[in-house]
Amino acid sequence: MSKSHHDRTHHVKKATGKGDPQCFKGEAGPPKFKVGDHVRIKDLPDLFYTRCQVYTRGAPCTVAALVYESPAAEDEAWDNTDKPEWFYSLIFRQKDLWPDYPEAYANDTVETELSERWLEKA
Amino acid sequence: MNASSKNDTNAENGEHMVDLTPIALLETIRSHGRVWGELAAQYGVTNPDPPWKVNLEATCDALSAEACALPLLERRSEEDELSASLYSNVPFPERQLLALAHSMIKRGLVDEKELASRMKQVHDRLTSA
Amino acid sequence: MAKKPTEGEHGHRPPAPMVDEVSDFEVLEMAVRELAIEKGLFSAEDHRRWTEYMDTLGPLPAARLVAKAWLDPAYKKLAVTDGVKASLQVGIDWVNSMPTNFGTPSDYCNLRVLEDTPKLKHVVVCTLCSCYPRPILGQSPEWYRTPNYRRRLVRWPRQVLAEFGLQLPPDVDVRVEDSNQKSRFIVLPMRPAGTEGWTEDQLAEIVTRDCLIGVAVPKPGVTANAKRPVHPAVHPVHHDH
Repeated sequence: MSKSHHDRTHHVKKATGKGDPQCFKGEAGPPKFKVGDHVRIKDLPDLFYTRCQVYTRGAPCTVAALVYESPAAEDEAWDNTDKPEWFYSLIFRQKDLWPDYPEAYANDTVETELSERWLEKA
Repeated sequence: MNASSKNDTNAENGEHMVDLTPIALLETIRSHGRVWGELAAQYGVTNPDPPWKVNLEATCDALSAEACALPLLERRSEEDELSASLYSNVPFPERQLLALAHSMIKRGLVDEKELASRMKQVHDRLTSA
Repeated sequence: MAKKPTEGEHGHRPPAPMVDEVSDFEVLEMAVRELAIEKGLFSAEDHRRWTEYMDTLGPLPAARLVAKAWLDPAYKKLAVTDGVKASLQVGIDWVNSMPTNFGTPSDYCNLRVLEDTPKLKHVVVCTLCSCYPRPILGQSPEWYRTPNYRRRLVRWPRQVLAEFGLQLPPDVDVRVEDSNQKSRFIVLPMRPAGTEGWTEDQLAEIVTRDCLIGVAVPKPGVTANAKRPVHPAVHPVHHDH
């Protein structure tokens, strides 16, 4: 993995007294998805850096909440904070992640957050 | 493919995050150093963690947050890989410390010889009082 | 964390036992730190600031948040809607506090409090590394950092919980919260029976770190985390799509 070298001076100024991710509030524009939407995780290339876990890729899920606005981890690792995105809390049925998950526990779920670029309408 | 991160996947495919070649200085510490659990039992100390643990944690955070010489995620991935291989028999947090020193030497942030001579100085200072 | 020496019966402090031996690990830690400072990777002042911060951390504020939420429905509502604001009432300011005043890569300022119900049990993991709500819960335990826990919890949550001694009936759904972006999570477990009339202090005592991660549930009389041996990952996980 390549190294990312951060100049944090700019970030410190922006985030001090507000917090991160709070400092990006209002910068992402209108969200594409809303609570209750059925979506699917795109399998985007991630040659350099990502926080999108392999187990979610291609899987269907439901938007549980719009949680905050922030640059995507994939951009922020390179100090690119120009385009904040909406982050969504997403709920996956275990059965949709692992087809052999026991039927007796059909309502077990995994919840995790991803930025808008990873989502498409299911 | 793996359920965890890309990093795990890479490791299992034989692509390592970190050079796993043993480092002589750290091998000596690994095999001869007395770990906290042993010392605490011998001296009847009940604190579950060695007093230096908090300093180690501060060093790890400062390395990532200040000049970003060793970003947190990279250090943690390397620590995981080293903990499962070279240092698998070392308890925590001694293992975290060896992994940190290993990552720093392999990245050229410190030099093995320089670290050995600094350790000798520190040891003399601590035992001369 | 270090135990504070307690006053003896006659008002004097019993001598605290000390390790009278310099270990190679202690020397290595100091040598690494000194060289890092000399090379400008961070300053001595940075290190002091981080050490002070580490020293303030522990699980008590999160335990108190849960106890307060059990006693006060309005506070509970605040906790589940705005964890950062609710933290202020237990003395934790996620935003305006040392060491950075804006959260660090490991301590972003977005706490979410996950409320268990009679039909839903939450449990927290970070499959990516070991993201953890340090400002309000302290340093993560070693098992939380291991690939064993991180890989297996998402795939076999009920088996992993059973290893912690938590057997859940099929009519309780398990929700694994994978904390790998900017939110950090604590679990607000169900208040157990047998605690009627208890004070906030009494309630906070049974909300252990493990209850706040979600691998245990509070029980009257249980105020400590169970010891847990750390094993290497035994089941590498295979992905199906």
